[in-house]
Amino acid sequence: MITIDRVSKTKSRTLILHDVTFEARPGRVTGFLGPNGAGKTSTLRILLGLDRPQSGTALICGRPYGKLDRPLTTVGALLDGSGAHRARTARAHLRWVAASNGLPDSRADEVLEVVGLTGDARKRAGRFSLGMSRRLGLATALLGDPEVLVLDEPVNGLDPVGIRWMRTFLRDSAAQGRTVLLSSHLMGELAEIADDVIVIDKGRIVIQGRLADVTGDHHTLEDAFFALTAAEADRPW
Amino acid sequence: MNTARAELRKLLTLPSLRLTALLTWTATLLLTYAYAAAESRGEPLGDAAALAPLGYTQAGFLVLGVLAAASEYQDGGQIHTTLLAMPRRLPLQAVKALALGAVTLPVAAATAATSTLPANGATWMPAATAYLTLTTLLGAAVAGVVRRAVPAVILLLGMYFIAGPLLRARPGSIAAAYLPDTAALNPSRGAAATIIWTLSALTLAALTFHRRDA
Amino acid sequence: MVSLVRAELRKLLGLPTAWVGLVLGTLMAPAVVLLNAPYTRRAITAGTLTDTSDLGLRDLGIGLIGPMVLGVVVVSSEYTSTSQNAPGARQLTATLTAVPDRLRLLLAKTTALVLIVAAQAAVTAAATLTLTQVLHGEHAPVPAPARVAAAILYWTLTALLAYAITLITRNGIVPLALLIINSTVVSVSFLLSKVTDLAAYLPDIVGTRMFIRGTDFPVEIAPVTAGLVMTAWVAVLLAVGAVLFHRRDV
Repeated sequence: MITIDRVSKTKSRTLILHDVTFEARPGRVTGFLGPNGAGKTSTLRILLGLDRPQSGTALICGRPYGKLDRPLTTVGALLDGSGAHRARTARAHLRWVAASNGLPDSRADEVLEVVGLTGDARKRAGRFSLGMSRRLGLATALLGDPEVLVLDEPVNGLDPVGIRWMRTFLRDSAAQGRTVLLSSHLMGELAEIADDVIVIDKGRIVIQGRLADVTGDHHTLEDAFFALTAAEADRPW
Repeated sequence: MNTARAELRKLLTLPSLRLTALLTWTATLLLTYAYAAAESRGEPLGDAAALAPLGYTQAGFLVLGVLAAASEYQDGGQIHTTLLAMPRRLPLQAVKALALGAVTLPVAAATAATSTLPANGATWMPAATAYLTLTTLLGAAVAGVVRRAVPAVILLLGMYFIAGPLLRARPGSIAAAYLPDTAALNPSRGAAATIIWTLSALTLAALTFHRRDA
Repeated sequence: MVSLVRAELRKLLGLPTAWVGLVLGTLMAPAVVLLNAPYTRRAITAGTLTDTSDLGLRDLGIGLIGPMVLGVVVVSSEYTSTSQNAPGARQLTATLTAVPDRLRLLLAKTTALVLIVAAQAAVTAAATLTLTQVLHGEHAPVPAPARVAAAILYWTLTALLAYAITLITRNGIVPLALLIINSTVVSVSFLLSKVTDLAAYLPDIVGTRMFIRGTDFPVEIAPVTAGLVMTAWVAVLLAVGAVLFHRRDV
């Protein structure tokens, strides 16, 4: 369960998030949709304790990220990049992360297998392609077998097989009762997997609800999105 | 405990740290040889042959600290992984310093022994070991604030090898006793300065790390 | 070629670290002359400083951190990652896509570096030497133009030396550490010259013989010979760097 309550943030005097409020519930895939620079990544970074909000709270299972014990066993997160130092091998990277949360070394090889990187375990992260880097990032997120998944643009850089795999994986995770929150600017992609949709534009939540409700009378989610954000575009700050 | 294990693993699996340690030790060996050779020819290069090589190779320890801290911020964005796994930043920063100190200590001891023992300066060895370890932590603290390796190296080496000697060379200079590297040549005189500089830099690094968006 | 050089100049001047090198390198030497003026004057009147022919020129050495930083960042910036998504992505990829001929690229880079450093050296030398004349004019002879030109050449060759080493190591930290430690008051090269006379031919030591007259040196080397020896060092290292740059995968 993810609860974001009236989160605001200013960065170099610009208001980048304004009273952002939403929930992501267990057993459902929640899609966080918005154009580039709308505030998706900033919201996720605040949720994960990487950035600090000026006001408001962002909680995971009722607690701020920083108060979680062995956080990787509760939340798995995928941000941009692999999150691995280029000189370290994939296995060495996963092993230090595992050690940090008291997980056994064997988890490293298990998650490498889940994401299909078993054969590249001894390769240095700097030699990975974009798609492989993303898989390594996902492997890191899965180390603690978390009940909450937070993913920033998870299909970026994946090939068609990877995209399909990711879609199935996220649906299965939700079916097992996990909370899945993913951001994307790809509306078609989101319409395929999300149960609930939250649309953000210029730091404000424009609409949120079940996929069908958000799409409403519009033909597709994409049409709905443009109708909603175009209406917002003229609003003065 | 988990945090310490993770941080130690990180340091031990970084190839650039091993390479830096090896190069630093080799350079110390060569310089010690140069000093000994000059002495045996009857024209010593200075009066503190036991410590003088370390005055140069301390640069390797500064670089060691810089690389350890800056590696978090290099490409790949490892700092995100670190903070997602260990979100409590102040304890994390303390453990990082301890882990780096623990990894550096044997390298510092080997380097200090290489320089002091051949010159009959065994009594200086513990102090030199402590000094080099603290210097590494100072380097790490500065790189933690700057977050990029090359600018941090320019800043630190510029301070230690260009600004420092300049300040010290001025007649009647009082700066000599207050610079962080005074202890490199005169441990009894500069110990306090080294400790205070290192602790201040570590505190500054911890505060910025705590307050800044990652 | 002109547009290539212009692009490289623009790239270099867009780097904050390059500006650190430009500002530090230009200001250090004049600042030191100014700050040390009372001590220098006292030393001259007390008779402890008798050989004043190197005054000013000797102080230039302190600004060498400027050309070193510039020479290093010209290359090291190409090898820093530009994208978190793919740790393998480097600016060099974009550079080589724009200029696939690697030797032409290197030529443009070298030209840009030489232009910037020579300009910096000329400004610094003019400022430092004018200041020395104003402060100690009655004691310090005006250095011959050839010696000033040699000092500018020394700065430029030092930048090229840093640049060549970085081309070989592909990493800025090794050359920076080597060169900065060696530019300290008592340099390692100088120490080595006490052990073996051959060390007098190391690039940084031999280079200073182009314009410094002071005589605490084991080997006497004529200025022109000194210039040729340092140029040979730079040429060999640059050639190695260029061959590696040409052959290596990005």
